[in-house]
Amino acid sequence: MLRAVAFIIFVASPVAADVTAVVQDHVLPGYAAFDRAAKGLAAMDTCDIEKLRPAYQGVFDAWMAVAHLHLGPSEEKGRGLAIAFWPDPKGQGAKAQRALMLGDPSVLDPVNFADQSVAARGLMGLERLLYPQQPLPVDPCPLIRATSGDLSRMAAEIDQGWVDFGQTLITAGQPGNVTYLTAPEANQELLTQLLGGLEFLADDRLGRPLGSFDKPFPMRAEARASGRSLRNVRLSLAALRAMAVALVGGIPQTLAAFDRADALAAKLDDPVLAGVADPKGRLRIEILQQAIWATRDAVLAELVPALGVDRGFNAEDGD
Amino acid sequence: MATRRAFLAGLAAASMPGMSWAEAGDPTYLAAGKQGADFVLHGLSVAGESIFHLALPARGHAATAHPNRAEAVAFARRPGTYALVLNCVTGAVQHRLTPPDGRQFNGHGAFSAGGDLLMTSEVLAEGSEGRIGLWETRRYSRIGEWASGGIGPHDLRRMDDGRIVVANGGIQTDPGDRTKLNVDTMRPNLTLLSAAGALLDQVELPPELRQNSIRHLALAGKRVAFAMQWEGDLADPVPLLGLWMPGQGPRLSEMPPEAVRAMQGYAGSIAISGNGALIAITSAKGGAATVFDAGGQHLATHHRADLSGAAARARDVILSDGLGAFWACDAAGLTPLARAEVAWDNHLVALRA
Repeated sequence: MLRAVAFIIFVASPVAADVTAVVQDHVLPGYAAFDRAAKGLAAMDTCDIEKLRPAYQGVFDAWMAVAHLHLGPSEEKGRGLAIAFWPDPKGQGAKAQRALMLGDPSVLDPVNFADQSVAARGLMGLERLLYPQQPLPVDPCPLIRATSGDLSRMAAEIDQGWVDFGQTLITAGQPGNVTYLTAPEANQELLTQLLGGLEFLADDRLGRPLGSFDKPFPMRAEARASGRSLRNVRLSLAALRAMAVALVGGIPQTLAAFDRADALAAKLDDPVLAGVADPKGRLRIEILQQAIWATRDAVLAELVPALGVDRGFNAEDGD
Repeated sequence: MATRRAFLAGLAAASMPGMSWAEAGDPTYLAAGKQGADFVLHGLSVAGESIFHLALPARGHAATAHPNRAEAVAFARRPGTYALVLNCVTGAVQHRLTPPDGRQFNGHGAFSAGGDLLMTSEVLAEGSEGRIGLWETRRYSRIGEWASGGIGPHDLRRMDDGRIVVANGGIQTDPGDRTKLNVDTMRPNLTLLSAAGALLDQVELPPELRQNSIRHLALAGKRVAFAMQWEGDLADPVPLLGLWMPGQGPRLSEMPPEAVRAMQGYAGSIAISGNGALIAITSAKGGAATVFDAGGQHLATHHRADLSGAAARARDVILSDGLGAFWACDAAGLTPLARAEVAWDNHLVALRA
């Protein structure tokens, strides 16, 4: 696998990266839409799962536009991971939820619920209640309400938090900024999000169900119960492409690579990536995975020199 | 063959009392890094300000400082074919250490309390069985070796009473390129050796955690804190910090899932504050540092790209990163201390650890 050359280069005259555009045109509208969708779900006065499911799908769609952003308010208090606790190879989420359903109901009060394990909460928690794969031990209604309310609280906190954090990112390197000490640090932070998002797509969203040829794991596809596995791949590709476009102009190889990957995903017709378990379907998913790796390589080839930064000196090295 | 001049210079160096750390400006820490196209070793103040810097011929990994003389031993990255003894006043390379045939340096080293013995973590190139190489420090000649008590030793630390703690990481590597060869069967351990190299105590992790490579150590008196790197599924909820009081079993610190995920199953450096109240581990891979109390209770996880080196300060811990910054780290957060145009490398080494 190709890896970035592991040192920081400050190129003589990098193209100006548009951190402001990423914040204002990509991040803030994305979180605002997620906040609106989560509020809408939390406000529904019903526990009828048939009625809740479309709203849930809308919230998940909105999340996918910002799911790749692992910085600032989404990293505080574990919010981002609580919103989408996946992968969960040890089944921590289901175990924690079972304890919540069978335990003292006061843990479902909003203040207490916010302190429960990130594994039990958020979109993946709701998926187990709205698309149950096994019978639930009790009426899930109180937990559905608690989880929806908690999700909406976190969405609002992230949305609010970005008012200040967006400025922190935009003012990187200016006096008084104690988070980003130089302007290139903001570029590097955003580049890291883009590369990390592509790697998570290829290595986890596709790589986990793919497993190996002899041992595929179709049941490990993300959001399989709600039928969103492939949809999440496409929405994530779209979100990452939009972020790259906002960050820096003149990146034809990168955009072509994104478009090729999405064209392959669009033709898959395999909503939960079940094809990983049969040779023909598997090949098509592997080709998509390779196209996403190629997109990552295009980002490295085009954006790294354009932004004048690279991935971490130590992060890529190990000891 | 040594020339007459080199022989005389060596004789002069060996017979000189050696320059003191005061003559090098009394640095508190040493850190290797990359400055432009050059590799360097800096001596640093407690606030992360550079006091001196020396040229290194290639990327370094860690260093260790002689207790009295202004001498630093800089170790090459694994698989290490050399280590350099640098005069921190003049910048001269005083000695170049080469491990005996079939052995490789494996990242770290430590001096005896009086500074007359240097101990280096080493592996047999074939099989990665661990050795502690022994070097006398007048001429830095090889005088012997001990078994490290496991496969792939990485960090080693000397206690005040002279006993040595070794982190046998358990990973067998290809002698040529660091490829890991035994991830499915690895069994890391912590080993306590006497000042004469006798095995005094050894502990392993529970079977389900044997893919957690024990790699770095920090000491507070007789208390050992150890940092691990998980070789299994990165989504698994595994501990990255453990505490060990020799004579007892290891105690592993639980972390909330969001902290494990932020660290990407990886702890690269570890330090305990001078007052013993805080333990910090860093993850360059995750761009995060996690802070625990003295008992190993999780206090906070902070985010910053490429955080790597960690060393003690009186009441908190100092961290370095690949973007050139030094940070004071405690449970409340990261506070910038200093910044230079240097990509700081893996480790920050305290002179009086």
